[in-house]
Amino acid sequence: MSYDDVEIEDMEWNEELQSYTYPCPCGDLFQITKEDLKLGEEIARCPSCSLYITVIYNIEDFLEQKSKKNLEPPKQQPVSVA
Amino acid sequence: MGNWERTGLRTITSLNFFSFPSLSSAGPISLLACGGAHVIALTSAGKVLTWGRGTSGQLGHGEIVNCTLNPKPLTSLESYFITYVSAGWSHSGFVSDTGCLFTCGDGLFGQLGHGDYRSLCSPVKVSFFVNQHVAQIACGMRHSLVLLKDCTLNQVYGFGSGKRGQLGISKDRIKSISLPEVTNGLEGVEIVGINANGDHSAALTVDGHLYTWGRGYNGLSDAHLPQRLGSSMCFTQATLGWNHGLALTGDGKVFMLGGNKHGVLSDPEKLSPAKQLPDSKESILDKVPGLDGIKVEHIAAGAEHSALVTENGEIKTWGWGEHGQLGLGDTCDQTCPVTVSLGYILNGAATVRVYCGSGFTFATVTPCILC
Ligand SMILES: [Zn+2]
Repeated sequence: MSYDDVEIEDMEWNEELQSYTYPCPCGDLFQITKEDLKLGEEIARCPSCSLYITVIYNIEDFLEQKSKKNLEPPKQQPVSVA
Repeated sequence: MGNWERTGLRTITSLNFFSFPSLSSAGPISLLACGGAHVIALTSAGKVLTWGRGTSGQLGHGEIVNCTLNPKPLTSLESYFITYVSAGWSHSGFVSDTGCLFTCGDGLFGQLGHGDYRSLCSPVKVSFFVNQHVAQIACGMRHSLVLLKDCTLNQVYGFGSGKRGQLGISKDRIKSISLPEVTNGLEGVEIVGINANGDHSAALTVDGHLYTWGRGYNGLSDAHLPQRLGSSMCFTQATLGWNHGLALTGDGKVFMLGGNKHGVLSDPEKLSPAKQLPDSKESILDKVPGLDGIKVEHIAAGAEHSALVTENGEIKTWGWGEHGQLGLGDTCDQTCPVTVSLGYILNGAATVRVYCGSGFTFATVTPCILC
């Protein structure tokens, strides 16, 4: 069962991990890469535990970024791709 | 002092006694604040030590560090007598006996209250409160609450992320604010304690009434202003997790808010929201099972686990156990409070306290000669 649903705008871009992250209750971070998002992946996992979250985002925002090389999180209203 | 927590690649699942030379020489611990992955110890002499993750500057030692394994005295606050501390996901707050508030750590959401979104690796005085006497700070995941002393009007302030209503400053959806604003809906009541964790906030009145605001429990809608729990019970302590809260009554009974998420009380019956009245907007308090005839003295909530101390000094834990945070020697979840083996016999002349961080737990045992 997904621990939580989190909008992409609530996740933080972590330069070191090259991933969007969100706090995991274990103390570590749920993580998902831009490559995963471009593939339509919506599960962000924590490397330290069994928990995962469902990321709510608009896949087009990440497909466009390929050309723009924009590191900013999308400003559009996120839509679930489920 | 006892401690069980995850360190590096090793998961510590039972109560371990760590000898922290820097802690024992600092004198008796009056309060431990446990955050996402860092700890702030306050001594009865008003001194502060911090350890754990320091990647956002939350340890306050003037540098960004991955991790400090041993409690380190916070020298920059040495000239103050500190009376209250709080640890959030990755920020920290300190209050002095003169009512000054200091914050450091992650400031990305404005949760440090300095009017900007910068992170700080040393505690800096929050100038907004310079003419007021701060009594307490409560640090959540991305927000902070402040309680002023002896103040009948505008006692509670909030700053940082307000997306789930956790600041209680407006009915409207607020993304984040970096300067303190008054929490509304607490007019005419005297607040004696505040709590924050995850996207939740709570305040306890002098009459034992509990107000909560922020993210809704058990999938209920968020509360953007404080709401008094519709209960005639009189509470003496409240503590919050990421999806649950605990409240202790004056006669030693423990009640829980929420708790339908992983492990908190992973009773399959509880996982179904069907028990909730469909139109009910009010959070429901459930009595924690398995505590009949037991008088509880102290409670603590981690992100997804809970702990308590009985009047006999016994520690019980329940909830999510994957990281050994229940101290029961395994990594199982528990739906009811289970007694933690202390590994030695308490001779009664000691005060036991338990403190939960996101995924770890600490216990302090203070001999009464030092209490
Ligand atoms: Zn985790």
